[in-house]
Parts: sequence; structure tokens; C-alpha cells
Amino acid sequence: MRIGIACPYSFDVPGGVQFHVRDLAEHFIGDGHDVSVLAPADSETELPPYVTSAGRATAVRYNGSVARLNFGPVTAAKVGRWLEHGDFDVLHLHEPMTPSVSVLALMAAEGPIVATFHTSMLRSRTMQTAYPLLRPSLEKIAGRIAVSEDARRTVTTHVGGDAVVIPNGVYVDRFAQAPRRAEWIGRPSAPTIAFLGRMGEPRKGLPVLAAALPAVLREVPGLRVLVAGPGDPEEITEGWPPEVAAACEFLGGVSDADKASLLASVDVYVAPNTGGESFGIILIEAMSAGACVLASDLPAFSRVLDGGSAGAMFANEQPDDLARTLVSLLRDPQHRGELASAGQERARIFDWSVVADKIMAVYETVIEGRAASQWEPERRWGRFLPGRTSR
Amino acid sequence: MTELFTWIFATLFVLVIIAWYLSYTAARLDRLHVRLGGTLAALDARLVRRAEAAVELANSGLLDGATALLLATAAGESLESPSEHGEAREQAESDLTEALELALTPAVVDALRETPPGQDLVDKVTSACTRVQLARRFHNDAVTDVRRVRHKWTIRMFHLAGHTPLPSTVEFDDEMPSPLAT
Repeated sequence: MRIGIACPYSFDVPGGVQFHVRDLAEHFIGDGHDVSVLAPADSETELPPYVTSAGRATAVRYNGSVARLNFGPVTAAKVGRWLEHGDFDVLHLHEPMTPSVSVLALMAAEGPIVATFHTSMLRSRTMQTAYPLLRPSLEKIAGRIAVSEDARRTVTTHVGGDAVVIPNGVYVDRFAQAPRRAEWIGRPSAPTIAFLGRMGEPRKGLPVLAAALPAVLREVPGLRVLVAGPGDPEEITEGWPPEVAAACEFLGGVSDADKASLLASVDVYVAPNTGGESFGIILIEAMSAGACVLASDLPAFSRVLDGGSAGAMFANEQPDDLARTLVSLLRDPQHRGELASAGQERARIFDWSVVADKIMAVYETVIEGRAASQWEPERRWGRFLPGRTSR
Repeated sequence: MTELFTWIFATLFVLVIIAWYLSYTAARLDRLHVRLGGTLAALDARLVRRAEAAVELANSGLLDGATALLLATAAGESLESPSEHGEAREQAESDLTEALELALTPAVVDALRETPPGQDLVDKVTSACTRVQLARRFHNDAVTDVRRVRHKWTIRMFHLAGHTPLPSTVEFDDEMPSPLAT
């Protein structure tokens, strides 16, 4: 099957949508399909062979955060060429409401189109003003996928209609087989916990963890906190109590392999995110690696952790509750072990092989509908609509 | 004289814009109707395949006689009901869903999974049920889109939808038998 995938965000920087696109593409290529990904990227960025660059991305403030997007007439022409050259059986667009290559592909394409909605935080004002422009194009989407119940709610309230929920996938085995690293393994006197994510972004929850640490350190003085992720440690630790700053070790940005090893080595992985998470792929990665997970009780996290049976939870944005739960976990290795193995078991249902099968079923359904209808844009009213005829 | 020409051109310009807008709207609606026809055909095909999978399971000899009979009857009803999606068809499909749920109890599914042909049948039914769910959801999405666009006043006033009847969503129970759901 010839599959075209459009990703709106630049491949220069890591991000959930980019990883999703990369993993999905690689899985389908492994299954013997012909996959081409279109995404913005700098000319210096090294791209996998299946990715076509749509040109350099521009950092734009959109929907409340800075995103690296790609737009303009040159990009539009590039998207058009990609579609024509690809001659895809199915076109899979990610985030079709983000003003980047996905929207351009949606406007230009005719043919079986599947769209995946990732965000759960679309602002209603953005939606109201952008809507009339997009509506006729959105009507071309034959199959809508949402990565989470929250993302699906965004679709039902803002776009209308419904979406099939197919969660993100994780290569469970890659994490399950990650080697443990001696310097990250905790000892009874000096247990280790890990935090992952951009330090400077408050909704990733590092401030909540920092606020909980004084109480934890009183009970467990030897605790080591391994913080991995981009950010400037000096700026972040400003104003922290000295004993908290001393307990933290900043690893900076880590590679995928190091991330897996880190998760496999530590005693507890803490995810204190305060909101804006539609899914929580990092939780599944931690569960796959065999870490005991302690996460805030966001609805998305609670669903991943099966209501707390596959990992511990604390009340969101409550450092006291976080401290209490963390201390009791650190003191109870047996409970940690139980949670970790329950988590590893549960992570299997989020494995890419399961997820990709579902996405393939969507492709097949959409293609079948298209084959049955035989839409002929040249002869009917279709010539009044913008967009090329791919098949 | 020039003023008259200005007016004529202005009027022509407005008329051209209106004409373009109407044909654009008609094209948009036409595209939606085509999509709708496709999703309905896909749903129909998926339903037939699900019924066939149920028949195959019933005839496999791996189920007890009474359950097999129940399942085969429900699947037969689904296959014989008229292909137009009306209340009778929806009832037949709901009945088949119920029959599958009754036939595939956790114990039965575990027993089926022990033999390769049984595992095969379980996989077939699971996949057929998933695809029915997808096809129905995508069809109903198309119905929602068509209905919304057909509410636009331009379409009603200029009768752009022609004589195509207003579609309605297809409603039946398409739950996956619970032991098969992951």
C-alpha cells in the first residue's frame, strides 16, 4: 500500500507528534508498505530516507505555545508536488487544523484521507475564527482518529461528528530490553527517582516535584533525583532550598537509548505533569521499561495507569500528597515491584503492533469507501473545487 | 454613460461571484454525497463480512449445537435483510451483535483459542467487528457533515441538493463481544 503521511511540526526538534509519525512510518515500512512522510525540516537536519522535507520551519506562536511550522506559497507548491509524485492509496494527515503542511495537503488532496487529532487543548477562540476557512476541507476527511478520549472530545465539540480513539503506540520491547545503568540504579540508602521533560515548562510539573522534595528528603535523606530534559539547571534551581538543589542531578537532554536505560534503572519514575497531556506516552515508555510509575491523577494518566492498578497516583498539583505517596513507595520495594510488573504487562496493549493494526483497519475502511464511490472530479461539479485529482 | 457602464460591470461582477459561490457550494455538497455513498457501501460490505465470519464460526463444529444454531440464524437474518439500511436491517445487525455476545462467552473464547482453527475464527470475528465499528462511525460522520451542510440557507433556497433524500445516521449496537475486546 502506498501511504502518505503529513506531519505539521518540524523534525528539527523532538516532539510527541513527530515521534508518533516516525514510529508509525517505520512500523508500516517494516510491514512492507511504501511510506512517504512530509514534514518541515532544516536542510542541515539529518532525516530518515522516507522523510521529504517541506522546507525550513518558522517558529510561530499558535494555540498557546510556540510551534515550528511551515507555510506559504512555496510550501504549498511543494506539498502539491509531493502529493502528485507520491500517488498515494491513502493520505494520513496529523493535526489537520494546525497551519502547516497537513492543512496544505488537506486542501490540495483528493482521495482517501485519514486524519489524526493529537491535541486536547484547542482554544475555542482559535477554532471559531479558523473554522469557516477550514470546514469545506475538513469535510474531505473520511476517517478521523483521536489519540485519546480528550482529543476525541475536542473533535466532537469543535469539529462535529466523532472520531475513533486509537492511542499512541510504543515499541514496548525497545524499552523492555534497555540495559540498566549502574550509576542510575538506586541503593536502599540512596534510592533514585527520575523526572523527564522540558524543565522550564511549568506544566511538565518540575516545580511541583521541587515543592514536594523537602518533605521527602527529611524522610529519605539519601534520595537522588535524576532530571533529564532540556533546560538550564542554574535558572531552574534558583530559589530552591539548597538541600533540594543538592539532591538533583541534571542530565540534560538524553538520547532515546539513555532515556530507556534511565527508566529501567530508577526506583520510581515521577510524572508530576499538571495538565495539557492528552495521552502520556512517557508513562507507557516508563511502564515498558519496568519502572514503577508515580503520576499526577490527570484523566489521561489515570486511563493509562488503569485507575492506579498499573502505577501509583497522587492528587494533581498537591506537593504534600506527592511527598507522602513517594515516601511510602520508596519504603516499600515489594509494592514497587508489583506496580512495575503490572505496568509492564499493561504496556503491551499500547505496543505499536497492536496500534498499527488498528490504524491499518482505518486505512482499509476508508479506501474501501472510496473505491465504492468512484468520485470523478473532472466531470461533475468537482472542477469548481480546489485540489488535484490523485486518483 | 460611464456611470451606466460602471453599474453594469458592478452588477455583472456580483452575479459572477454569486454564480461561483453557488457552483462551489454545489460541488462541495456533491463531494460530500459521493463520500456518503462510499461510506455506506463500505459499511454494507463490512456487515456482510461480519455475518459471513459468524456463519463460518457457527459451521465450524467448535461451538455447541444450540449456540451454533442461534448464531447461524442471526447471521442469516443479517445476510438476508434488504441491503437498504432501514429499521429492519438495523434490528438484524443488533441481533447479530447480541448473538455473538451470547455465543462468545469468556470460557468459549478461551476454548476456541486453544486450537489453531479456533484461534483463526476468533481473529476473523474480532477483525470483522472492529471494521464494522469503524465503517459505521465513518459513515455516521459523513451523515453529520452532509446534514450540516444541507442546512445552509443557500442550499435550501437554490435547491442545490436536488432530489437526494436527507440521510440519517445508521444506528445499531455494534459492540465487540466483551471477551474479544482488548
